[in-house]
Amino acid sequence: MAKNSKLTTAILVLIPVAVGINYAGKLFASALKLPLWLDSIGTMLSAVLAGPIVGAISGAINNIIYGLTTDPVSFVYALTSIGIGVSVGFLAKGKMFNNAFRTLLSGLIVALVATVISVPINVVFWGGQTGNVWGDALFAFLQSKNVGIWVSSFFDEIVVDLVDKVLCVFITFGIFKALPKTLVYTFKGEE
Amino acid sequence: MGDVSTKISIEHLTYKYPFAKNVSLEDITLSIDAGQSIGIIGRNGAGKSTLCYVLSGLIPRFFHGKITGKVTIDGEDVPTMPVEKLIRKVGLVLQNPFSQISGAKMTVYEEVAFGLENLGIEKDEMHERIDTVLRQFDLYKKKDENPFELSGGQLQRLAIASVLVLKPEILILDEPTSQLDPRGTTEVFETISQLKTLGITILIVEHKFEKLVEYVDKIALLHEGKLLGYDTAEHIFSTSEIETYGVGQPIYTALCKRMGLKKANGYYPVSFGETVALLNGLKGSGMDRRTYNG
Amino acid sequence: MKVLSLYVENDTFIHKLEPITKLLYALISIVITFLFPSIMVGAVFVAFSLLLAISAKVFKRMLLLLNVVLIVLLSMVIIQGLFYRQNVTPAFKLWGLTFYKEGLLYSLLLIVRVVNMIISFGVLILTTRPSDLVDNLVQKGLSPRFGYVLASVLQIIPQMLSTTSTITDAQRSRGLETEGNLFQRFSAFFALLGPLVLNSLVEARERAMAIEIRGFSVEGKRTFVRQIPETKADRWIKISLYVAFIVAVVWRIILWVM
Repeated sequence: MAKNSKLTTAILVLIPVAVGINYAGKLFASALKLPLWLDSIGTMLSAVLAGPIVGAISGAINNIIYGLTTDPVSFVYALTSIGIGVSVGFLAKGKMFNNAFRTLLSGLIVALVATVISVPINVVFWGGQTGNVWGDALFAFLQSKNVGIWVSSFFDEIVVDLVDKVLCVFITFGIFKALPKTLVYTFKGEE
Repeated sequence: MGDVSTKISIEHLTYKYPFAKNVSLEDITLSIDAGQSIGIIGRNGAGKSTLCYVLSGLIPRFFHGKITGKVTIDGEDVPTMPVEKLIRKVGLVLQNPFSQISGAKMTVYEEVAFGLENLGIEKDEMHERIDTVLRQFDLYKKKDENPFELSGGQLQRLAIASVLVLKPEILILDEPTSQLDPRGTTEVFETISQLKTLGITILIVEHKFEKLVEYVDKIALLHEGKLLGYDTAEHIFSTSEIETYGVGQPIYTALCKRMGLKKANGYYPVSFGETVALLNGLKGSGMDRRTYNG
Repeated sequence: MKVLSLYVENDTFIHKLEPITKLLYALISIVITFLFPSIMVGAVFVAFSLLLAISAKVFKRMLLLLNVVLIVLLSMVIIQGLFYRQNVTPAFKLWGLTFYKEGLLYSLLLIVRVVNMIISFGVLILTTRPSDLVDNLVQKGLSPRFGYVLASVLQIIPQMLSTTSTITDAQRSRGLETEGNLFQRFSAFFALLGPLVLNSLVEARERAMAIEIRGFSVEGKRTFVRQIPETKADRWIKISLYVAFIVAVVWRIILWVM
């Protein structure tokens, strides 16, 4: 019922649910001992359903809430989540998920976006580390070989992000395609 | 139309959801008098919820799609009425007690305040109204608890209280007990009988017919989007076609139909009380029930 | 867990401050520690934030918060101590590895910043009812629609997560493989998340309808059942924070120019 605004009530209610799906993804992944985070499916789904702006808001709120409740450090990675939401939103608009090849390409783009945003944050806050054991081992190795901090941090981040984001993108689309049309329609922004 | 006692008037209402193949409501015409209680029955997909959404203004504000015909409350057009006016006229309670909680409030008290805050009701009046409804629905002791800690029946009462605090003249309940246990169901129906005494016009979609018939003045029977009957419960359930619409009937009516037991007015009983009275009457007249077998 | 919140109920001076005051302290102290690449500045803020935590009687909970990042902080000391690019001066040797002074100091700087961030935000989070923070922000001009999102997220998530256990049980009873090989576990992931997403979207639509019916989209003046008062102390603290912020920025610029 909101005038002059694409943020309808249905979309506002979708945002907490998107964050909840992120949480659930993380929870299931660790319960199933999957070696990944899988914690951005909700952000991606909200972006696919309601566009890049809503994706960005879901991403930002995800990290704000996570920061407020579990780990204050995640505040600063809100920027990464926003990047993920925005890029998925635009890729979905550009029909970049129509077939498996395009979806894979989209996954790679999202991973790259996430990495490019995260690296400066890693450098400023953590001296380049990510906090992920495998990534940090690689970081330490590259540092010992005198590779620059930015390059080391880039590789630290991308080894982790690549698989995670590509899989999240595929899962998101699997779920999206299975949703009933009438439900999907409710969460579309007013054009 | 124009009659003072006519509260809700629906004329030739037809509605189709976006992306739907068929219309959900087709050429519905009915009028409801102020202070009446109306039951709405029909099987899944009959259009019961859709009718509730039209009357409460969610169609066309929340669900778009194509709506034709005329729907008025107190002579005013519902689809175009300003929202702030409409919610003071119509309240809606939905099936799932959990998803009706706003989720943004940490206590029962604040949850009830949600709608009042949205309408900008002054603080003093706000407190007064909240206290009243909480006492009315026996939730006052729970006022500082988190809404999500309530039982299903309590939650559904909270949902009703949160809507009634806005003082609507009409309350629509869309299967309010379908997700409740027997105890919760009883709680909700007790609340409804309380509301009747306040003179509120009530529309209720309900599958528990034995309960429903005790509270409503009339029943509207919907089938595949069409209004097939709008009459007293005994009229609606006494017809032989009722079973073909897949809605079922009160167990007492089914029993009496089976036994061929009719009331003096020629209709079958619909409630426990009526059935007992009928059976007692038979005993008193010295007739043997077995004569009616076969 | 009904609300996703670390709030510890109590009645201290810090608890009674306006949420916005505490938020402002967290933000400004973080900005200042990042403006100055100085361990001293960081340490002063860490000490002050800790003092606030102690006076709010949330010190123990604060340690739990810090515990979350403990391992990363330790790994920072090791990696920077060993491999920091400007390492020249050896500090000490451990198991045949040489730790350098520059790297250790650099990691210390990073640590005081992160620790201050956690403690200053921790004071806000641990001493503020989350819905009060949101109400406070809305009363100070945040869009009520956006405020709704922030407030509801804290309750909707636990609600959703409580249904996850139901879904997990249901799928297990249908013979879902949660222990098998990687592929089986990935399909299990799908089978668990799918129904959850569908369910919560259906519920979200209902919730949207329910709040519409209660005037969520009505435009115009809103009232608040809980008014969060701004005390005298709040006003003074805010003024000092603004002053500290301006002084810090000006000082930083002067250092830069000189």
